[in-house]
Amino acid sequence: MTPEVQRLERLAERLRAVEPYVPPPGAKIRGWNLLLAAVEQSTMARSRVHPMRRLIIGAAAAVVLLLASAGAASADSLPDSPLYPLKGVLENVRGTLTFSAADKLTYHLDLAKTRLTEAETMIARHRPDLAATSLKALDDQLQGAALLVQAERQANPAAAVRLQDRLRQAVATDDQQLANLQGQVNTSGAASAIVQARQHAADALKLAEGPAASPTSSPSPGARVSPLPSASLPLPTLSP
Amino acid sequence: MRPLGKAASDDDRPLIERVRKGDQDAVRALYERYFDRIYNYVYARLGRAEDAEDLAIDTLTRSLTRLDLFQDQGVAFSSWIYRIAHNATIDHYRRHGKVALVSLDHAPVPESADPSELAVEQLSNEELHRAIRDLTDEQQEVLILRFFQDLTSAQVAAIMGKTVGAVQALQHRALGSLERALQGRAIT
Repeated sequence: MTPEVQRLERLAERLRAVEPYVPPPGAKIRGWNLLLAAVEQSTMARSRVHPMRRLIIGAAAAVVLLLASAGAASADSLPDSPLYPLKGVLENVRGTLTFSAADKLTYHLDLAKTRLTEAETMIARHRPDLAATSLKALDDQLQGAALLVQAERQANPAAAVRLQDRLRQAVATDDQQLANLQGQVNTSGAASAIVQARQHAADALKLAEGPAASPTSSPSPGARVSPLPSASLPLPTLSP
Repeated sequence: MRPLGKAASDDDRPLIERVRKGDQDAVRALYERYFDRIYNYVYARLGRAEDAEDLAIDTLTRSLTRLDLFQDQGVAFSSWIYRIAHNATIDHYRRHGKVALVSLDHAPVPESADPSELAVEQLSNEELHRAIRDLTDEQQEVLILRFFQDLTSAQVAAIMGKTVGAVQALQHRALGSLERALQGRAIT
């Protein structure tokens, strides 16, 4: 052990021998009384606030969880699901949150695609009644999109051309899909619904390309669109 | 010699659980276990009985009424309460000011100082306390916790957020600085 270490060790021993400061008895009593008051205050505050707060937080969390779960589950629901009406509600909410003409068109075309997929699934599940309902809703969305293009033609002709192109492409894709579906069905009711849907899609496209409608006739996204009377136009590919 | 009571340990856990369930006897037991130790720690840091009393009460009140903030995950309650006391001391310095300290590691040693001549056995407790309060914050803390509070290097390491090796090195430097400070006092 070096002399330095020996010296420091002696110093350490001296420090260990230092008598500690002892608090006066009054300090300890005063401290205990203050602590006791603080404990009681915090206990009272906790018992006053916590049950109600816990109840509210718990209820709010349950509602949020329920809505989130139902919303997530309904997003993929089909017309034969009990959650399907909720899907419509959420779609309408989404529609009220779209503002530009381009976004509104995207909204209509997305929903048209969704309805077509639903119709395919319902046919596969041998539910032609529900498939017909989905095809009718598909018509509504395409007609809503057509009216949107018409209204936009007056406000912004250049933008309307772009919207019309998008609608034309969407209708072409949908028609191809409908044609394929038409070849798969073996019931006259389902086949008739598909033929009607293809014709209504062509009508919608014609409507978009036709003379301008009044701007006030532009539907807002999410609003139910009244079906237009079918135009007696020759369709390019009706036979499967 | 040392009436500070039982050293802090894992034995606090059952008491803490009881305090969380509202057991006032457990609050009393923890208060009795730590009040003297915290008072002694703060007094050694500040050197004023009135301030030590206030800060010890404040530390105990904060820690025992806010046990919901204490997460018993690898950190002992004793370490937590010493940290609160340490922070209260630092806050006190900020509010009331403290003489600026420089590390004595590199402080010039008086030419005539010969450490071997320092008769540590003859130094009074008050001289030792005063000299410690002239050290840096970390040096003070390590000496007070190790020698006045009688904590192990591992316990001090947990309180100071350092490794055991770093605490031992710091302790060595602190003792050297204290020796030089005492020697300086002796010759002036």
